[in-house]
Amino acid sequence: MKYIGFLVVLTLTVALALSVSRQFGTIPPLAPLLDPYHGFWQNSISEDELAEDKLELNKLSSEVKVVYDENLIPHIFANTQADLYRAQGYITAKHRLWQMEFQTMAAAGRISEIVGPLALDLDRITRRKGLAYGAEKGVTFIQENDPESFLLLEAYADGVNQYIDQLKDAQLPVEYKILNYRPEHWTAFKSILLLKYMTDMLVGDRDLEYSNLRKILGDVMLDKLYPEYPTGVEPIIEAGHKWNFNPLAVTRPDSINYPDDQLVIDPLPQPEEGTGSNNWAVSGSKTKSGNPILANDPHLSLNLPSLWYSMQLTTPEYSVKGATLPGALGVISGFNENIAWGVTNATRDTRDWYKITFQDESRQAYRYGEKWQQTSFRIEEIKVKGEEAYLDTVVYTHYGPVVYDKTFNSNRQDVNFALKWNVHEGSNEQKTFLMLNAGKSHDDYNAALDNYTAPAQNFVFASKSGDIAMRIQGKFPLKWKGQGKFFMDGADPRMEWQGYIPNEQNASTLNPSRGFVSSANQHPTDSTYPYYVFDNSFEFYRNRRINSRLSEMKDITVEDIQALQFDDYYLHAAEALPIMLELLGSEFENDDQAKKYITLLKEWDFYADPNQKGPSLFYIWWRKTYSQVWKELSDNVAPIVLPSYYQTVLFMKNEPSGPVFDLKNTAETETAAAHVKQGFLEMLTDMKKWELEEGDFSWANYKKTTIKHLVPQFKSFSVENVYTGGGSGIINATSERHGASWRMVVELGADVKAFGIYPGGQSGNPGSKYYSNFIAKWANGEYLDFNLRTADQTEGVLFQTILN
Amino acid sequence: MKFILFTFLTALLVIVFNPFLHYWSVMLLIAIFAALVGNKGAGAFFAGGLGMGIAWLGQSLYISTVSGSNLPQKMGDLMGFGSDIVLLAVTAGLGFFLGAFSALTGSLFRRLLKKKPNNIYKGY
Repeated sequence: MKYIGFLVVLTLTVALALSVSRQFGTIPPLAPLLDPYHGFWQNSISEDELAEDKLELNKLSSEVKVVYDENLIPHIFANTQADLYRAQGYITAKHRLWQMEFQTMAAAGRISEIVGPLALDLDRITRRKGLAYGAEKGVTFIQENDPESFLLLEAYADGVNQYIDQLKDAQLPVEYKILNYRPEHWTAFKSILLLKYMTDMLVGDRDLEYSNLRKILGDVMLDKLYPEYPTGVEPIIEAGHKWNFNPLAVTRPDSINYPDDQLVIDPLPQPEEGTGSNNWAVSGSKTKSGNPILANDPHLSLNLPSLWYSMQLTTPEYSVKGATLPGALGVISGFNENIAWGVTNATRDTRDWYKITFQDESRQAYRYGEKWQQTSFRIEEIKVKGEEAYLDTVVYTHYGPVVYDKTFNSNRQDVNFALKWNVHEGSNEQKTFLMLNAGKSHDDYNAALDNYTAPAQNFVFASKSGDIAMRIQGKFPLKWKGQGKFFMDGADPRMEWQGYIPNEQNASTLNPSRGFVSSANQHPTDSTYPYYVFDNSFEFYRNRRINSRLSEMKDITVEDIQALQFDDYYLHAAEALPIMLELLGSEFENDDQAKKYITLLKEWDFYADPNQKGPSLFYIWWRKTYSQVWKELSDNVAPIVLPSYYQTVLFMKNEPSGPVFDLKNTAETETAAAHVKQGFLEMLTDMKKWELEEGDFSWANYKKTTIKHLVPQFKSFSVENVYTGGGSGIINATSERHGASWRMVVELGADVKAFGIYPGGQSGNPGSKYYSNFIAKWANGEYLDFNLRTADQTEGVLFQTILN
Repeated sequence: MKFILFTFLTALLVIVFNPFLHYWSVMLLIAIFAALVGNKGAGAFFAGGLGMGIAWLGQSLYISTVSGSNLPQKMGDLMGFGSDIVLLAVTAGLGFFLGAFSALTGSLFRRLLKKKPNNIYKGY
């Protein structure tokens, strides 16, 4: 009897111990998670309470000192570059390990390993686009062409790995505990992959949509609704700039046969609306102190842990500080004792699609000119948590991977399209940042940029010696007018890119007479630039506001520049609203609710401050009107893009009764006024509902800016309803999910003065007091002190650690 | 008295060894301890349970108080408990059951080893 009793209890005990160590569906293993000595409770402890005076880091040539300032920003003092980057890897992993690994898992198409079959489609897209394939090419390229940088990449990886090997369960980032997996070792490949992932986040193309539009509208109407150079564009390189080079010849084939199908394919995910950036530099002639001032604020998806991680990296040769990307070496947007630089996305169509005609079902050969060319197969093994691995066969042509085929995103079995993208060619973006970090002059900046391929960026520059500059850098294909705007026939060799624009012929400017340079994702040049430049997503509003402010400003101070970064002027509203009110006329005079809104709109000063009500009303009314104007286009089954807001406003202003406003399938002839009135009616309905349910419709409350944890399901790790102004198309580009992911202002005087902030915190741990502590300041337009520190400076030190 | 002592010693055992050992090693230690000390059935069960439960509750409370972190609240929301108090209770409850069953197993194991009926040892 007592044996049975013992066995029953023993079985129960073992069953209990096992069941709390196992994952059930989405419920993580409970005991390791709740164990207060190893589980999540331990992640409640902030970094300063865990501070250690000494940590072991092997393979250093001499000891490295790490000083944390009161914001937990580490300042790394090392004697050699290899030591510096080994320590950067170690320290970054210490604070951001989960995030850097998760992002590269996403980039490698390996999310299914962590979350299961839910992410399979996402992983397939990532792999079929060839991101990891491009990173493999990048590794080989760097190994062959730049072995010194490769050693530094390996030193960084080793630093990360030494941290992983020392990591105790208690300090394992809480996301690993919840999702029940462990970090794997870092590699140079992963750092390179991360930079490819940035390209994927920032580069899109609308070839599919434009192919459909061409079919639906015809060339003439397409050019009218989607002009490549709309009136009033202000390019990045000042208009009238003289191009001092002899351009390479590009020959346009005399006849072009575009694949003529109207394509119903799910398009690939595109960079989200709101992804953009501002940067500018003003020369000493316009500033109060006589020193150049540089500003940069990249707008990306607002996430926690923040995409950026601030650091100072110091060797005896230089001291650089700014925003790093966890996983990549050096500082990405920052400054040193001599120069400062920043980046905005230089959107340009560098991704093209070719229709592939396979010889037969086996897909081993495809037509190219008169011949059949061989394909190769790349088998992607996607591991899936809790299930068998998924094998995805991707066919590669000399253009690149066949992304759309019978197994993927196509409703039509006969459609095959290959993607040509410069991310698949070997390149060394990392080198650019290593060189910029140590740069001293405009020449150094140019030499650094020569290594840079993708994602194309507008690199702003300022130096202590007084130079300001802007260069649009990327590896841009030489294209004839219209090339790559639509899907092309891959069987026709005349459709190939004809080479690349040489680096020295990329658009750039140095010390222009207007006294400033600026970029905000708009057209790069005026129409005199001798190469074909096209993109669907050029921005029209932020750049004009920045330029008009910078032109009129004098005796500029750092504070003025900070205020400009936080500027809420809603230029789109300022241009559209008067026209809309005019078109609306007196129709709604007898409606009290309508009169209330119209009065609010008429009194509004066009600033999108958080407490204003005008922006909410305008935003809704505009969106309703816009979708009404282009209703017929958006009713198409095939994916398309709509004309820009800017062009739509131009039509409303210049030809309000023109045929563009007429909906062909109605009996009446619509004008702009009809759409504006319809939009207003719909706004009244929406507002009635909003006022009933939510009450207050002031801007911050309406747009509900949210900074989301990288795992969207982890809602309590996100910060919701941040009270701040701005919006898409506004210099302070903070919309619901996007905004200034990093703000930096640097004055390059005898002593460099620098300020920075980002919407997050230095810690990646949701339990730390340094996880989201910058957000309130960021939302208010405040900055942190980012001045360079010396190793022996004592004020404002949180703690310091010796690595040896 | 022995019950309180057993509870106290189990808690102490958790406090000393849990920082270095996983919960299942701690369970094993509690079982061995219970087998050595020899509390009976229900006594072992509740004393072992209370010992580990209190140790886990105490450590969780200590960490959240000292750190002032809102992570317990966030985890409570995430796990659908809604509050950090519930999460504290769940942690303590889990500790209780792990400790209780371990101690009971140990105590019953001791009984197995006794070759003769209990009463022979009466007064021992």
